[in-house]
Amino acid sequence: MSKVVGIDLGTTNSLVAYVQDGVPIVIRDKSGDGLVPSVVSAASDGTIYVGREAQRRLLTDPSRTVYSVKRFMGKGLEDVKDEARLLPFRVSGEAGGVVRIGLGDREFTPPEISAFILRELKRRAEEFFAVQGEIDPEVDRAVITVPAYFNDAQRTATRDAGRIAGLEVLRIVNEPTAASLAYGLDKRRDGVIAVYDLGGGTFDISILRVEDGVFQVLATNGDTHLGGDDIDQIFVQRLLDQFEQRGFAVHTDGVYSAEAVQAIRKAVIGAKLELSEREETEVVVEGFGLVNEGGATILAARPGLEYRTRMTRAAFEKDIRPLVDRTLGPCRQALADAGLAPSQIDEVVLVGGSTRIPLVRRLVGELFARTPHTELNPDEVVALGAAVQADILVTGNREMLLLDVTPLSLGIETMGGITSKIILRNSTIPATGSEMFTTAVDNQTAVDIHVLQGERELVADNRSLARFKLRGIPPMPAGMPRVQVRFQIDANGILSVTASELRTEVEQTIEVKPSYGLTDEEVERMLVDSFEHAEADFAARLLIEAKNEAESVLMHTEKTLRAPESKDIARAELAPGEHKRIEQAMAGLKHVLRSSDREAIQQWTQVLNDATRHLAEVVMNRTVQAALAGRNVDEL
Amino acid sequence: MIPMSSHTADPTVQICRSCGGGAPLDVHFCPQCTKVLALGRHGDFFSFLGVARKLNLDASELESRFRGLSRQFHPDYFYNASPAERRASLERSSYLNDAYRTLKQPVARIAYLLELEGFAANASDPSRASKEVPPALLEEVFALNEELDTVRELRASGAPPAEWQARLALAREPIERKRAEHEDQLRALSEKWDAHVDARGPEEDRRAILAALKERMLERNYINNLLATIEREMAGSESLKPEV
Repeated sequence: MSKVVGIDLGTTNSLVAYVQDGVPIVIRDKSGDGLVPSVVSAASDGTIYVGREAQRRLLTDPSRTVYSVKRFMGKGLEDVKDEARLLPFRVSGEAGGVVRIGLGDREFTPPEISAFILRELKRRAEEFFAVQGEIDPEVDRAVITVPAYFNDAQRTATRDAGRIAGLEVLRIVNEPTAASLAYGLDKRRDGVIAVYDLGGGTFDISILRVEDGVFQVLATNGDTHLGGDDIDQIFVQRLLDQFEQRGFAVHTDGVYSAEAVQAIRKAVIGAKLELSEREETEVVVEGFGLVNEGGATILAARPGLEYRTRMTRAAFEKDIRPLVDRTLGPCRQALADAGLAPSQIDEVVLVGGSTRIPLVRRLVGELFARTPHTELNPDEVVALGAAVQADILVTGNREMLLLDVTPLSLGIETMGGITSKIILRNSTIPATGSEMFTTAVDNQTAVDIHVLQGERELVADNRSLARFKLRGIPPMPAGMPRVQVRFQIDANGILSVTASELRTEVEQTIEVKPSYGLTDEEVERMLVDSFEHAEADFAARLLIEAKNEAESVLMHTEKTLRAPESKDIARAELAPGEHKRIEQAMAGLKHVLRSSDREAIQQWTQVLNDATRHLAEVVMNRTVQAALAGRNVDEL
Repeated sequence: MIPMSSHTADPTVQICRSCGGGAPLDVHFCPQCTKVLALGRHGDFFSFLGVARKLNLDASELESRFRGLSRQFHPDYFYNASPAERRASLERSSYLNDAYRTLKQPVARIAYLLELEGFAANASDPSRASKEVPPALLEEVFALNEELDTVRELRASGAPPAEWQARLALAREPIERKRAEHEDQLRALSEKWDAHVDARGPEEDRRAILAALKERMLERNYINNLLATIEREMAGSESLKPEV
């Protein structure tokens, strides 16, 4: 029987985990890394890169590399065009349709991009299981997590991504709920917990009661457009402005320089992480610096240069305070919906990389009047919980049960552009609701229904989910048919609709046109397309491995030649010409590393290995001698 | 042997779609074949949850019954079952969640009971809705309307907000007192109902208590509307008149 996994498909990083003997474990690569950066890059030869390699290409090939694709899932172009100007990749799409992301001369929908990431996680898991000696290492079933506040379109897009990646999605689980499972497994304590989840792109707050192994969500709230990326954006914009002031042309034709944006972004993120540990740091933008040009000092792009500016934690906190404050409103609303005061919360659990920021911890602690629980790794806890849920579904383990809720009210459009609510927010799922319809005209055989999600009164202020057309209503005088439309939100939080005319008990056929989603046919086609690219992807993998190997040898060589302990040995022991041969091999390898020629890379790696063999021996001997020199005979 | 037709004459029996066997209404698994029962004929929210049709429910008992039943037929535990069982667990869980949500809140519980017993507001008097003033509130409504007229005149003539807001606050007091009274009355009637159920009292008592509950609920809705109107006037909106 093949294994099942839990997947955290995050804005910034993704992870895959599984359960071994009742314990959830994150699946890591050979270097022990559990995180796969949620970055996808399309090279000009059509090769697709995912993860660390793609992350490197953010700097070298920014217009063909997409990050934080989660922010585009289930959205239309109108939703994202404001932030599109700061994005180095192309964003397009038909009005009222799915967003399309352009990388080079190829176009992808967000589910397809997410599918590349999922496929990489699937591959990593399969490799792991093969190495473990599993008879059937194939992974074709997974639980995938989403922010609790994701609407129907966003959840469906995630499930579509799973299908395109060749995975049967057992369940779409809310991230805070998954985190609470991991926490509950760890602590085994009953009580009321609040999960505060601030990630790269989304914010969720969920309040749960844990009792007798049942994890019951009482209320959930959040903001699907608030996270670490927004924090970064503040400083990226500021630095772009600084660059402009110092004479660098940051944008042409209203589009920002992709190289500048990504270099600045990398520097800002680095500084942000530093400020969680230190009170002060430097923002170091690589590849840009002040130069003299025609008598004036201006900022220009120059490899090897650095643009530095100081940042203090105090100033950082002042700048991000409004963003962090935005998380407190949803927290209060969730508490109100759950009918609880902050003092009635037993434990606060922090999830998501952005909760490492000291200001966030402080403000959350103040709101709930207790120190948040930070023992669990905020990056891994969601994947672990997802693995536990996958285990429950497949093994029928009845020790634990998740009772989740739908985060947004579901309604339909009625006369005058008003939303009539059918299923209220924070209703435990699965949930149903129904509404009666009738016809306005004699012999009318079809009725149009517009379904929405949101809390507002007016249709225009809520989120359009889909338009249904009910056909097959038996011809009758106007007002006679009694068509009952039944809305079912399943355990994934996804809606399905059935309808029947009550007098004749005829069930209606329903045509669904999702507002921001893919049709089943489109998903099928994308799945087929993905098989065509499978071969190219395998070749890409071999290339990445060759490059990693080459870089490792280069790094060791450079270290040996330049390190204080060894460089004197090198100068003394190497034969004339040997040093030069090593330098030439290094130069040759560096040069060929810029290409995608795997064979050339492997050949030059071999050349460098050969050239440094003597050096390695000599350094090794000297090191051993030095070690032995400090000991007497009795110790040996 | 119970006939297999879905329109069985006996309203206290449900039919298992897997084996055709019969089962009492408030059972969730077929006694014959042990499979989870599809949600065909089913009991009301009270019997489904296995609690008495009473208005004062022990909150923790309700919670633990809800949890216990969730564990029995939640879709998560039927992932590997047949499509029919999966559908049955989905329907049954949805109904359970509806039942729990309704019975959890005292007011929703009363409204549901009235509906169940045939005393729902809409069912018997569709014309009544919230347009007619409940007789018990005539005095308060009259007084409030007068105050609202005065307040509107004051506002139109440019009087300082503090002045007419103070009048509104004053006008609100009797209405809020009335609301508190209603809460007490609803509580008292709920206890009366429960006592009636325990004692298996006579039919006319049953109707009297339900009629009184219905009246109080209609009044309660009306009072809430009045208070909402006052809130709107406080905020300065002039477009809505109280429902008279």
